[in-house]
Amino acid sequence: MAQRTVIPFGPQHPVLPEPIQLKLTLKDEIVEEALPHIGYVHRGVEKAAERMDYTQNVFLVERICGICSFIHALCYCQGLERLMGLEVPRRAAYLRVIWSELHRLQSHHLWLGLYADAFGFESLFMEFWRCREMLMDIFEKTAGSRVIISACCIGGVRRDISDQHLQETLDTLEALEAAFDKSSDVMLNDYTVKKRTVGKGVLPADKAILLGAAGPVLRASGVEQDARQTGFAAYDELRVEPVVETAGDCYARAKVRIRECRQSLDLVRRAIAGLPDTDIAVRPKGRPNGRTISRVEQPRGELLYFLAANGTQKLDRLRVRTPTFANVAPLVHMLPGCEVADVPVIVLSIDPCISCTER
Amino acid sequence: MMLSSVVRNLFSKPATRPFPVSARTAPDGYRGAVAFEEDVCIYCGACATRCPANAICVDRVAKSLDFDPFKCVQCGACAEACKKGCVQLQIDYQHPVTVHGTVTFHGAPKPTEAP
Repeated sequence: MAQRTVIPFGPQHPVLPEPIQLKLTLKDEIVEEALPHIGYVHRGVEKAAERMDYTQNVFLVERICGICSFIHALCYCQGLERLMGLEVPRRAAYLRVIWSELHRLQSHHLWLGLYADAFGFESLFMEFWRCREMLMDIFEKTAGSRVIISACCIGGVRRDISDQHLQETLDTLEALEAAFDKSSDVMLNDYTVKKRTVGKGVLPADKAILLGAAGPVLRASGVEQDARQTGFAAYDELRVEPVVETAGDCYARAKVRIRECRQSLDLVRRAIAGLPDTDIAVRPKGRPNGRTISRVEQPRGELLYFLAANGTQKLDRLRVRTPTFANVAPLVHMLPGCEVADVPVIVLSIDPCISCTER
Repeated sequence: MMLSSVVRNLFSKPATRPFPVSARTAPDGYRGAVAFEEDVCIYCGACATRCPANAICVDRVAKSLDFDPFKCVQCGACAEACKKGCVQLQIDYQHPVTVHGTVTFHGAPKPTEAP
């Protein structure tokens, strides 16, 4: 007779880079129900943003997530620029695209490594992270720091990238692409990898829409949606076609991210080729007043900031809606019916960023 | 592909550097430890106002500046705010210390009037 067991998966688990707990109800080896519990890394960033100056908040929101720090700052600055009626110079918009896409690249490399580690392929994990080091070196050279790059400011960007650094970036990306092609070939075509990922954690398109999935999880289920299509920063000139797969399983989610890496490489090259020669920032005048919503595409999906300003130095409210929070409900739908050995792979397949989720 | 990387790793040098024999140097423009030039500083407090981590505290009357390196996030907002250019981010990173505390800088004393 089948026996029911409840297993706490997390908050400390070898596969989880950040703490989240899933209470798994098992019937023998099959998951029947998964209940998520969050709240282990809540830092009160939204409340802290109400107490700080709106210019200081740029550095605060970057620290919501280390893996896509620039994109958080971009979303915040974009909202304030709209409230203050600032027109960002084109060069700054292009530089924002370059840094955003480099962040997407390094985030996807980080995820591909962790994902390989989730199904026990440690050497592939190291191969992806070896590639990621090249990207971290680009950040260090161009922005002055490896993780929290602090390159975005209200009205533009804080520093320019010299022609020499642009050329070095292009050279590094060429070396990166050669290494990435080899590693991604293993991820997509290796027999054992496919055995662990194909047909696991399937999310149909209708359920993905119903449960509000975001980013690569949504696009892997065949839904064509990418916030970069709204044309923020310089994406209005550098058009982006969403990368879509239809299978909706873990393999499709990995494939979407691998194809997005190639798309990001292409975007960085196009942005560098078309980099206009203008100023890099405009000086903000006055203080923000009013309410607005700012949307950008994070590596994990759509990021949304709601800003309420009152004409003083401090904001009335800052609300952040992160893509991982949107992807927790689809995850809870994916898990029932899978084997307990597949749980780490399925949990990792949504690219969970719990620090983003809890702020 | 994985077989080729196994063979390559067998006959290649370690990926890590033999620190401290060959230490890594940060590139130009790296945001490292914050350094103040107390002789140039006019103790206006612009850096303290802009600091997002409240790592700087300036007393304009007493002409003194307290800096807590443990609160500093090396964002560079103070260096941008400084009109005199006396706050700079060094290429070197913040070194560890044995005692936790703030560093205090004082302005030059006013020249005493001749009797």
